[in-house]
Amino acid sequence: MIDLQNLTKVYGDKTVVDDLTFTVEPGVVTGFLGPNGAGKSTTMRMLVGLETADGGVATVNGRRYVEHRAPMREVGVLLEAKAVHPGRSARNHLLALAATHRLASSRVDEVLELVGLSDVAHDRAGSFSLGMGQRLGIATALLGDPETVMLDEPVNGLDPEGIRWIRDLLRSLAAEGRTVFVSSHLMTEMAMTATQLVIVGRGRLVAHMSVDDLVSRSASSVRVRSPQIGRLRDLLTGDGVTVTTGHDQALDVVGLSADVIGARAAAASVVLHELSPQRASLEEAFMELTRESVEFHGHGSTDPTDRTRTSDRKAA
Amino acid sequence: MSTTIATHHPLTAPALPARNRTGSGVSARGVLRSEWIKLRSVRSSTTTLVAAAALMVFVGLVFSASLGGLLSGDQGAGGPVVTDSTGAALSGMMIAQLVIGDLGVLVITSEYSTGMIRTTLTAVPRRLSVLWAKAAVVTVSTFPVMLVASIGAFLGGQVLIGMGDLPTASIGDAGVLRAVVGTAAYLTGIALMGLAIGTLLRSTAAAISTLVGVVFLLPGLGMLLLPSSVQDDVLQLLPSNAGASFTNISADPVLLESPTGAIVFALWVFVPLALAAVSLKRRGV
Repeated sequence: MIDLQNLTKVYGDKTVVDDLTFTVEPGVVTGFLGPNGAGKSTTMRMLVGLETADGGVATVNGRRYVEHRAPMREVGVLLEAKAVHPGRSARNHLLALAATHRLASSRVDEVLELVGLSDVAHDRAGSFSLGMGQRLGIATALLGDPETVMLDEPVNGLDPEGIRWIRDLLRSLAAEGRTVFVSSHLMTEMAMTATQLVIVGRGRLVAHMSVDDLVSRSASSVRVRSPQIGRLRDLLTGDGVTVTTGHDQALDVVGLSADVIGARAAAASVVLHELSPQRASLEEAFMELTRESVEFHGHGSTDPTDRTRTSDRKAA
Repeated sequence: MSTTIATHHPLTAPALPARNRTGSGVSARGVLRSEWIKLRSVRSSTTTLVAAAALMVFVGLVFSASLGGLLSGDQGAGGPVVTDSTGAALSGMMIAQLVIGDLGVLVITSEYSTGMIRTTLTAVPRRLSVLWAKAAVVTVSTFPVMLVASIGAFLGGQVLIGMGDLPTASIGDAGVLRAVVGTAAYLTGIALMGLAIGTLLRSTAAAISTLVGVVFLLPGLGMLLLPSSVQDDVLQLLPSNAGASFTNISADPVLLESPTGAIVFALWVFVPLALAAVSLKRRGV
């Protein structure tokens, strides 16, 4: 379990982590989401004592990280893919870390096997691809067979096969009752892996909710096109139903299911050219939540969600 | 800002699978072994150590040979007048210190440049044991190798000098053993200084420049800039001159007495190490 109480970090006049309070429970994968620069990595670094907090307390499995006698057995950490000396072999890298906790060298071979690096165990880590480096980082995190696993952007730079592998691994770690805390700036990725979400923006907590809650929160509507748009509008308007005219004369209906709309149109012999349920994507829901706290707005697009929206529709 | 926190009952949490709990926590011995594995598993450590030893011997032999007239046919031609055959044979120390200093620097700065330091300090959050373990492995790898190199340079040098019919020294002569062992100790101290400076500056280039500056440039700079009234008093306190007080066999009026020089040199090693410890403990990585 990871517990943060009013955790704060200030660099100069910039509050990078601002009074963060939340708990990460064991048994499920918890996603740590936020735009770049939201303070996710700094929070994780404070959790393992690489940075000292300017306020508040962070504990892992009931204690401050530095107070653990065997920290690698409590928390497995991946902070960046290539925190490895490029001239050292993967196996020697892990052996050196295992030595600090007097872990058997058989454990090193075990984790190498687990992440699929056995064949290149004796190769210099500098020759590894980004994906292999990521796997070595995960081997490092799992070396102490820790109760809590904390990974910062583990899917960065991985191929689809690697992404699926990490997803399955995280879920199975959680299923074993471990605490799994994974950061990402990609909502869609998290939605496929995590059960719980901690969302931050500009160092502040924006939301702490389950993925299901976020899904049900994202409003859904039905898009209808018809040559008899006036009649259709009359048919659909009613209590708790809002009908808005979208672009190309389509109606966006909130409050009625596609089935009901179709049935009413059929009963009134209204011709439909399109009847499609629209789901606001999780990405949109996430953007909505963090809109105010996005650190760096891109130039060129007036609305940062525009591109996502279009591509999501296309995908749907 | 906060959010509702579900009360956590450890008993209701899913049971963890039976896990291997036989190992122990972080121990000084474990960290020492870890640093030893790190040192010997990177090719550059071995290369640096061998290069320092080779330079120590090679330069000493070349200088001895030229002193013995084997290279020019004219004894000591052009070179400084050296009456000290021990000093001639051990003269490789001047160059070897540059290389061995890099070993100390790289042991820590390579961790900063690669990000490995974060992995290291996550495994060992009580950071000072990492610094002490690094100091220990630098010492136990440097001192024996440099001692062998120093003895080799001395013995080989005496043979070459003897060939020129010049007076040679033997290891039993007054001050010779001290100079030979002192050379190995001095080089070990320089490596530790490199480790301390590397820990403080975190950058390989900055640390090596600083080390070279302190060891090589400060004496010259002092001679240039200091008023002559205080020059001797200050210059004898610099690490290179403090080291010379116990790596030379003959007492030199501008140098400290050997025991005092050894203490001053030790301060040049331990004070930076103490500062490095404070910095490592306090600063985020």
